Amino acid sequence: MKHRLFVAAMLTLPATAFAQNCEMKLGAMGPMSGGAAQWGLAMNSAAELAAAEVNQEGGVKIGGKTCKVVVVPYDSKYTADGAAAGSNALAAQDIHLIIGPVGSPEATGIKPVAARNEQISWNASYAKNALEPKFPLMFHIAPGPSGWADAVIKRAMKEFPMKSVALIAPNDQGGTDIASVDAEAYKANGVTTTEEYYQRGTTNFAPIVTRILAAKPDVVDTASSPPGDAGVIIKQLRLAGFTGAIGRLGGPGTDEIVRVSGGLDVLKNFYWFETVPTGDPKVRAIDDEYKKLLGKDPIGGTAVWADLPAARMTLKAVSIAGTDDAKAVAAALRKMPVDDPNIGKGYWAGKKQFGIAQELQFPFGVGIIKDGKNLGVERQEVKPE
Amino acid sequence: MRIKLLGWTEIVALLLLSCGFIVPMFTRSVLVYSVLNQAFVGVIAAESVWIMLRMNLLSFATPAFMAIGGYTVAIAGQYDITDAFLMTAAAFLVPALVAVPLGALVLRLRGTYFVLVTFVLSQIMQLLIFETPGLTGGSNGISGVAPVTLFGAEMGTNRLVLEYACGLAMGATLITGVLTRYFRQHFAAIEENEILAESLGLVVWRYKALGFVVAAGVAGLAGYSLVNMLLTAHPSSFDSATAVDFIAYTIIGGRLSILGPVLGTGALVYATNLFGTHGQYAQGLYGVLILVVVLAARGGIVGTIAALWRRVS
Amino acid sequence: MDQFIQAAIIGVSLGAQYALLALGFTLIFGILGVVNFSHGGFYMLGGYVAYSCVAFLGLPYPLAVLVAVVATGALGWVFELFLLERLVDDHLATLMLTLGLYLVVSTGLLTVFGPLSMEFAFPVTGALHMGPIYVPRENLIVLVVCLAAIAALWLVLFRTDLGRGLRALADDRAVAMAQGLRPKLLFPLAFAIATGLAGLTGALVTPILSLSPNVGDPVLATSFLTVILGGLGSLEGAALAAFVVGIVEAFSSVYFGGSIGALVLFVLVLLLLVFRPTGLMGRPVRGA
Repeated sequence: MKHRLFVAAMLTLPATAFAQNCEMKLGAMGPMSGGAAQWGLAMNSAAELAAAEVNQEGGVKIGGKTCKVVVVPYDSKYTADGAAAGSNALAAQDIHLIIGPVGSPEATGIKPVAARNEQISWNASYAKNALEPKFPLMFHIAPGPSGWADAVIKRAMKEFPMKSVALIAPNDQGGTDIASVDAEAYKANGVTTTEEYYQRGTTNFAPIVTRILAAKPDVVDTASSPPGDAGVIIKQLRLAGFTGAIGRLGGPGTDEIVRVSGGLDVLKNFYWFETVPTGDPKVRAIDDEYKKLLGKDPIGGTAVWADLPAARMTLKAVSIAGTDDAKAVAAALRKMPVDDPNIGKGYWAGKKQFGIAQELQFPFGVGIIKDGKNLGVERQEVKPE
Repeated sequence: MRIKLLGWTEIVALLLLSCGFIVPMFTRSVLVYSVLNQAFVGVIAAESVWIMLRMNLLSFATPAFMAIGGYTVAIAGQYDITDAFLMTAAAFLVPALVAVPLGALVLRLRGTYFVLVTFVLSQIMQLLIFETPGLTGGSNGISGVAPVTLFGAEMGTNRLVLEYACGLAMGATLITGVLTRYFRQHFAAIEENEILAESLGLVVWRYKALGFVVAAGVAGLAGYSLVNMLLTAHPSSFDSATAVDFIAYTIIGGRLSILGPVLGTGALVYATNLFGTHGQYAQGLYGVLILVVVLAARGGIVGTIAALWRRVS
Repeated sequence: MDQFIQAAIIGVSLGAQYALLALGFTLIFGILGVVNFSHGGFYMLGGYVAYSCVAFLGLPYPLAVLVAVVATGALGWVFELFLLERLVDDHLATLMLTLGLYLVVSTGLLTVFGPLSMEFAFPVTGALHMGPIYVPRENLIVLVVCLAAIAALWLVLFRTDLGRGLRALADDRAVAMAQGLRPKLLFPLAFAIATGLAGLTGALVTPILSLSPNVGDPVLATSFLTVILGGLGSLEGAALAAFVVGIVEAFSSVYFGGSIGALVLFVLVLLLLVFRPTGLMGRPVRGA
């Protein structure tokens, strides 16, 4: 094992430009260690699957040749500097296309650097400036709450009438950028809101739960709290005697929340946003395909499903453009219809929010658990902007 | 007694750093630029740690002072103040001034109490950034910081940014070198036995305060260089956990001379970039590297080279 | 008023958990002079060992906790004996070694168990309700175990020859060695006791909170904070400070919110140190 790692380390040395038949490298970036490791590893799994699919048919078409796609991961550690360094490290390996990064700090860090390196990067952050017109090579995977919060709230209100909601999220950009937008959406539906931010790294939420419950909200929403945190919050809310519904207008991770909180009986009444319609067997089939092609289970849970279309479309765009040059691939991407064999039909969005239509909007899901019974994830189609 | 302002180790360190001006003549590789640029930021931060280590104080406060330096420049940029000389001075002086009252508080502590209290300081800084969105942009930071201008010309290209970072690193090395050379005996006395030094008439607090203030200023320069590299001042760049990296740079390099932080930073920054492409194994590989170097190379890289040198000659 | 009582109850249960962690941390510092950066790693490891025993071997939970204590203690013993011991007098080197170990352990756990939280529940759940006030049952159990562990540790340190030896080494290593005490034997043992305590905490607390390969990160920060407050190397101080930190954290979070609450806690620690530079019960210590 040590030897293999050593050999692998030698191979990635920048100087060793070894000539293989024909090979195209695809970057996968995100936090692959630490608290957000799940999201970065999901990016990697998605890139691996898309590459394996293309390689099954020989590879991507570049300049008349068929080239094998190799995925190079980079651990950007959920920091701006990590993503900036990653962009450069990948550029040094002649990588022009990056699936990732994930977090808001990473998106902030990679934007100017990737632009300088002429790389496409697909960030999945909920940052309010995830895309900017001055960075035309940036694309965006996961639409922020402004795209779906209203629909989820309207659906949830049918099951769980509510007048007040308390939102809880971490006090960094990953928390504040989403909870504040969620709060606006609740207010637009006539629900009064309070926002509560905790320090990332908090493990025991009993004091914060006590604080939230003092205001006696009808509903508590865990927004973009990491699934592990959200699970503990819910467990402690229920212990404290909170019986209202619990919402989650944030990222994926419901399976994990169910595990940590102690099961459906504890969750009791729960509604959540899913980046993809996870109830759909066609969507779930992605995991089987991954296992078939790569011989192991994908890492990263449902986030893999949300990231996959971006990786697939990027590789398709390479074959259309006949090159992996970022500008040409970006041009091909913009013209490409948004349609994924597993997820379904979507649209290019983002013009309204970011001033640039480079955000993938796919059908999403609204999940409901009522009285301890999982009613499943309903598919919500999307309309073009 | 003649006090030399610079010894040969400082001169070697400066020569090593000057590769930032030489390398761009031969290569345009983005990785080389990127690793060098990160290393120049890291070297300055590690030198800040090293100054404190000269007095046997291990400081975790480096990210806090880096944040002050970095945010000073980012905030000034919003008012279109981008002059290189002015900004360099501000990035050094503002953290140094903040360090004066802080030093009065924390320098009463010794040993591990000092370690722990500086750790708390950098945690406090992180929370202060979050709680002051009006000034610092809060959790979103300040992005799109204006590039620095030298004599009115914008330093916008990769190469100019690198050369500027190199200049800052050399400047910080010069400050660190002169400080530790000039007060070499005072610092050594404090390192050896503070109480004895005091009883022999050395006004210990004066030198400790001076060291702390200059270390804070140097850290501020590191923050400036980092913000200039990323064109962003983001709280995640100044996370208290990064203090551990700078300490690792210094210890792995060796605390014997200023070459330690320089060589240690170079080696570990290169390793971080190399390991980064191993995804989830990156941190583990870094950990193994630290274990191996600490066990195999006593006194760090510099200590080992010195030992080898002695054996050869 | 209800809120006030509730905050106090939460504070005490947080304190119990912090005390278990801080005791091990301060023990290692007091006796070996090592700042153990891998403390959080042993906490996680304790959680994962207990989890594996329950999930894969089908052991009953109390037995799984015992296995976790033994396993983390054994790993600590091996680590001290074979790696740390060589450089035990170099404080910077030992700091780096424990940091390296932490990175390796957390990467190992991430690789073996994946990034997601495990399904690992405490066998006793529910809370005792008295009107609007509630006390979770599992917290009572942690509190009892914590008090028992503190008592046991106290007995070992103050009522046995082994403990006398350890304390002698902590007080003055040179004199203790001249008296014939052998650090080569006692240091690994002390380290093992401390890591075993961290493992015990992990096995007890992770099923109540959550278990994933990053739950060790905050452990270090909390242990740091508690141990400075208590005074380094002082067991009584650490135990007392743990409850102070727990109660301050509970009250400041309840009344000021999670983010400002943390700030209040840090500033309080800073102020305390300024006015009492050796913590609540500490004495001047060696340099770092």
